[in-house]
Amino acid sequence: MNRYRIAFFLSIALAFAIIGFLVFGEEKQVDFSSQIKPILNKHCISCHGGVKKNGGFSVLFEEEAFAITESGHAAIIPGDPNGSELIKRLTQSDPELRMPYQRTPLSEDEIDLLKTWIRQGAKWGKHWAYEPVKEPEIQTKLSAGIGSSDSESSNSGIDFFVGEKLQELNLSPSAEEEKMKLLRRAALDITGLPPSEDLIKDYQSGKFSYEQAVDQLLASPAYGEKWATWWLDLARYADTKGYERDVSRTMWPFRDWVIRAFNEDKPFDEFTIEQLAGDLLPNPTQDQMIATAFHRNTMNNDEGGTQDEEFRVAAVLDRVNTTYEVWQSTTMACVQCHSHPYDPIRHEEFYQSAAFFNNTRDEDTHNEEPKLRFYSEEENGQVAAILTWVKEKEGAQKADQRADFLSFREPKYHAHLSEDFDKAELIDTKWLGMWPGGSAYLRNVNTQGSDQLLIDYWSGIDGSKMTIRNGGPSGEIMAAFTLNKTEGEIVKEVPFKPITGKVDLYLEVQNPNAKPQQNTSTIVWFAFVPTLPGKGQPGFTEVQKSWNALLNFKGTQLPILIENPNYMSRSTHVFERGNWLILGEKVNSKVPVTLNEWNPEWPQNRLGFAYWLTDKSNPLTSRTLVNRVWDQLFGRGLVSTLEDMGTQSDPPSHPELLDYLAWKTMNTYDWSMKSLIREIVTSATYKQKSAAPAELFSADPQNKWYARGPRIRLNAEQIRDQALAVSGLLSPKLYGPGVKPHQPEGIWQTVYNGESWTESEGEDGYRRGIYTFLKRTSPYPSFISFDAGSREVCLSRRIVTNTPLQALVTLNDPVFIEAATHLGKLMTDHSANSPEKGIAFGYQKLMLQPISSEKQKALKKLYDQAVLDFKSHPEEMVKFYTLEGDTSSPEKAAMAVVANALMNLDEFLTKP
Amino acid sequence: MSSIEKLVFEFEMQKLQKQTRRHFLMDCVGKIGGLAMAPLLFSCDPGSNPAKSMGLNLSNRDLNPLSPLAPPFASKAKSIIYLHMAGSPSQLELFDYKPELVKNHNQPCPESLLAGRKFAFIRGVPNLLGPQANFAQHGESGAWVSDFLPHFAKVADEVSFLKAVHTDQFNHGPAQLLMQTGSARLGRPSLGSWVTYGLGTENQNLPGFVVLTSGGKTPDAGKSVWGSGFLPSVYQGVQCRSKGDPVLYLEDPSGMSRDLKKNVIEAINSVNQEEFNTYGDPEILARINQYEMAYRMQIEVPEVMNISDEPAHIHELYGTEPGVESFANNCLLARKLVEKGVRFVQLYDWGWDTHGTDHDGSIDMGLRNKCGEIDRPMSALLLDLKQRGLLEETLVVWGGEFGRTPMQENREGKTMGFLGRDHHVDAFTMWMAGGGIKRGASHGTTDDFGFQGIEDQVSVHDIHATILHLMGFDHEKFTYDFQGRPFRLTDVEGELIRKILA
Repeated sequence: MNRYRIAFFLSIALAFAIIGFLVFGEEKQVDFSSQIKPILNKHCISCHGGVKKNGGFSVLFEEEAFAITESGHAAIIPGDPNGSELIKRLTQSDPELRMPYQRTPLSEDEIDLLKTWIRQGAKWGKHWAYEPVKEPEIQTKLSAGIGSSDSESSNSGIDFFVGEKLQELNLSPSAEEEKMKLLRRAALDITGLPPSEDLIKDYQSGKFSYEQAVDQLLASPAYGEKWATWWLDLARYADTKGYERDVSRTMWPFRDWVIRAFNEDKPFDEFTIEQLAGDLLPNPTQDQMIATAFHRNTMNNDEGGTQDEEFRVAAVLDRVNTTYEVWQSTTMACVQCHSHPYDPIRHEEFYQSAAFFNNTRDEDTHNEEPKLRFYSEEENGQVAAILTWVKEKEGAQKADQRADFLSFREPKYHAHLSEDFDKAELIDTKWLGMWPGGSAYLRNVNTQGSDQLLIDYWSGIDGSKMTIRNGGPSGEIMAAFTLNKTEGEIVKEVPFKPITGKVDLYLEVQNPNAKPQQNTSTIVWFAFVPTLPGKGQPGFTEVQKSWNALLNFKGTQLPILIENPNYMSRSTHVFERGNWLILGEKVNSKVPVTLNEWNPEWPQNRLGFAYWLTDKSNPLTSRTLVNRVWDQLFGRGLVSTLEDMGTQSDPPSHPELLDYLAWKTMNTYDWSMKSLIREIVTSATYKQKSAAPAELFSADPQNKWYARGPRIRLNAEQIRDQALAVSGLLSPKLYGPGVKPHQPEGIWQTVYNGESWTESEGEDGYRRGIYTFLKRTSPYPSFISFDAGSREVCLSRRIVTNTPLQALVTLNDPVFIEAATHLGKLMTDHSANSPEKGIAFGYQKLMLQPISSEKQKALKKLYDQAVLDFKSHPEEMVKFYTLEGDTSSPEKAAMAVVANALMNLDEFLTKP
Repeated sequence: MSSIEKLVFEFEMQKLQKQTRRHFLMDCVGKIGGLAMAPLLFSCDPGSNPAKSMGLNLSNRDLNPLSPLAPPFASKAKSIIYLHMAGSPSQLELFDYKPELVKNHNQPCPESLLAGRKFAFIRGVPNLLGPQANFAQHGESGAWVSDFLPHFAKVADEVSFLKAVHTDQFNHGPAQLLMQTGSARLGRPSLGSWVTYGLGTENQNLPGFVVLTSGGKTPDAGKSVWGSGFLPSVYQGVQCRSKGDPVLYLEDPSGMSRDLKKNVIEAINSVNQEEFNTYGDPEILARINQYEMAYRMQIEVPEVMNISDEPAHIHELYGTEPGVESFANNCLLARKLVEKGVRFVQLYDWGWDTHGTDHDGSIDMGLRNKCGEIDRPMSALLLDLKQRGLLEETLVVWGGEFGRTPMQENREGKTMGFLGRDHHVDAFTMWMAGGGIKRGASHGTTDDFGFQGIEDQVSVHDIHATILHLMGFDHEKFTYDFQGRPFRLTDVEGELIRKILA
């Protein structure tokens, strides 16, 4: 009797209300996620899911799968496999009716599974990644674990779950790595740098245990720099706007915020909330405002002729995609155009998510407003004086509004909103330019009853008389004033007739001195901010003076997120097939139903969205974090597709371990990233030797099961930082604007962009890689060779390559030659007339290991060859060995050549 | 000897050398630059794989991501030379002859053409602008080519014109990205990256994807047009420069001789070999291989980038002048590079954005001068490739990122000082020649004013699909997984342009 028959009899048995399993024995429950969903995805979903719903049947969503199809019946009837059209069609003999149409039929096993599933009630389930994180059980006695039972590390669940899997696969864990190699590994992983001399000494002498050394490393400011590098890839941080002109922008205060956040060990939930919605927190601090620059890292298009709205929309969609990729390991880019064929997130849900992000003030303008102003101490004093004044005269609310305007100049209307030009134009599609006798409209403006208009502009000529009327050419005059020649861009205050509600403003200009097609001025924005109260009272002049000075502040300004006031809010529509010009139905902000529930107490905005994302019931945030931190340390995620945990992702290698760490990070560690990293790097799994015999490599080439320690090439920044560190050149300076260390001539050749790479002077030429100025269309060349990205979009992982161009960088880049010369000098100083000693010193310094005799021999040979070479070519020696304050000799130059070779060794470029 | 006779002589000599070319590529180890360097592990034989002999199951790709791969289908071309005129030349002055536009010169553009359309700079109702060049038919195919391109007119029989190409991006940056990466947004791999990812390259001593620029600027979209997007960075274009190091960091440090560099690499590799014996990590083997390749690249790249040894008649043919950055030099370099087994050579020439804002940007004068810069070299390139038997295995593509309007530009409603045309997306001309392309064909027709395609229109994705087809790929199946979904160069579009296939 085959299984088909059993199933058949079983269903009859059920139909007669006989308890089936008593007769036929207990049957194992079929699991939808792991057993049924893969069959549906493999055979059915390409025609019955997402875009295509042939026959009106889809297996993408639960309610679709059980809905009435075009035939008038549901295709799946829970409890009744043989009555279900799904099963009938799979088993049809007529090829016109048999499914999958014109393809190989399902196997008998697959059909049996489907039948059993339907008979058991056709319970729909979720993909594992959408199930809430649960605390997995760990047996108290770690019999399956790795690592010795008396060490602190053996308490980690990591070793239990890894060990369990190794046992299952019949693999044995490796022994613990040699002490100093392990320190180098941990230091490179935690701080991105080799360990300091002091730490080496204290650890080697036994003053510090390994765990104490780890704590030292986590406490070092270099920790924040290392881990910020990782985060900035996700945040698509760069120092230029991208697109055609790709001019510089000020984003570095955000980079510094990220470094500080890591160093303060800001819990990941706060870290998240502040970046996504710091501006919406009650009374946000300046730091919380800075954090929102995360989503201002989107590109800004300055090319003449581009429509700002198109690129504003592009930025908003990028924010949605990036948010889901960074926090949810979920690809939204597909559902932007159509319902996802595999993951249960719908087309309209993309736009419901977009509605959370579609209400910020930024509009892809050239000036990148809104921007946070960083006032000096003195200026902050002026701000405080103004606010105290306003509060006294008009109350707290008015003072708050003015505080906002001083801080980020919102709300305002950008010149690109003007239209219906007559003898006027949008200069370079950016700014309003009106010729003599010209006019334009600024429609749908809410002046908030203000008695004053602020106008931001510049002009090369005097005497342009501007009139602003209500509604049109014959409307009531709201303002009349003269715009004169300016020195650069200024903000001018002009009296404005108070009016409530929305108005269409008609603007006209006269200037007899201007040529017929000459722009009388270049207008950037309009804002309606009332005059300061208390005119004529003692102290007023001082306050007014401060106000005017602050309005024209030219210092550091950082693009940030600011929500639209109600009267400026935008509605969000579905874009048909992802096209922003074809608007579908209007949608409200909402989170995807497949994920965790929305708490009605949360505000219905970005802040609520951030609360939702960091709620412990969100299944993906903690798993995503853990997976990516794990990848940083092991070179591979527990789910190897870092960017995606959906149904198309690779299944996790250690699902319980992923959940164990996710659960613990949220509940035990209260989202502390340092604690998470500490747990991983102190595990016996991490501490294993990374060397592997050929059999182990063949058994697990990718080290997916962790029977050995991680051995990974360092990233672009680490390679540079390490070379500078071991040669004593690295500057410890933290923070500040991007620096421009030496790069070859002629790298920057951007159109319509006068900027150039001016080499930084002094220690700024030797800062850590994270501070190197990153121009998107022309990144620092040696970083690109070592797989760093250009940060145009969010990048979850850098794919490590191994190319000859990398060899050329570390062999020939003047930065590396300079480092080699300095290291060579140190080696010479430690050689005591024995080059072998110098070589051994250099090797020991770099690898924290004594050199083997074979390696010593190979490098000594190179040294001898170099000495000979330089002896016979002294003129070349002088060119090669250029160290300020030192004379050259064939021996010194030869030692620098050896240093150059040492810094090119695989073991130096690789985390041991 | 006339220059053509010299060319024939050169061709005979090349034929002899060509028979040994494959051999040379295989034998890349020993004799380059007169220096012998025995590899520790690798020969240049693509079939050799030291890992196998060590019992490691690794592909050539694991050790060298640029090792050549056979395409899934039979290919018509082995390499590509893509000539991109950044800024976009006017099809109406070069190839798309419109007598009706001559008749209607200076007449207001019919409203029907303007309705619902957006232009980058044109506002209101502009006037039509008649062609500013004289047209005639040339060759057996009777191809229309203007007097702006007298040399090219003579080789017009070699190419297939695409006269009704359209795009959907009317700004340079996004349009160049679309043309080169299949997407108007940053972040996607370029055509050259896709091809080198799919096929690797034949000469491991040279980059597989070389970029050469002229006109004093890189394209508007910057280096992203040859970026590798989400593909591994090894597949990005390598810009070879005419000033400074031809490839970044190629030159040895000042004072380090070639002999000494060889010693350095031998020392590094023998220590790395020791390391491999301990760690067994095949990445170490790959690194040893890369250091040997770097050394050979240091010799071969300057050799191939040096055009001063080319015979005089070749310089005459192309109009080249060693030591300067020019489109002509780049055309000659392109020939040399594909001859040496480079997979993809991308040329960008900047300065084609003829809006009529100044003399250089005028349709009647600036454009004529710009054409003068490319006419001889691009014709010479086709001729030279043909004479060497390379044209049949090299696909040559020419075009801008969009076309120019049949209307005269009136920027923001103003009268312009010079004759100019705005960006135009609805119809423009490109041409393709060589490997797998029909000779002397013209595909696609535009309306009387050259405003819009009316027959056989092709999209940017169609062109990509066709290029991939000629290289041996089905564009719908050639995918790479990123951010959880498979990506294609042609996204969800693209149809093969069968009518231009040989």
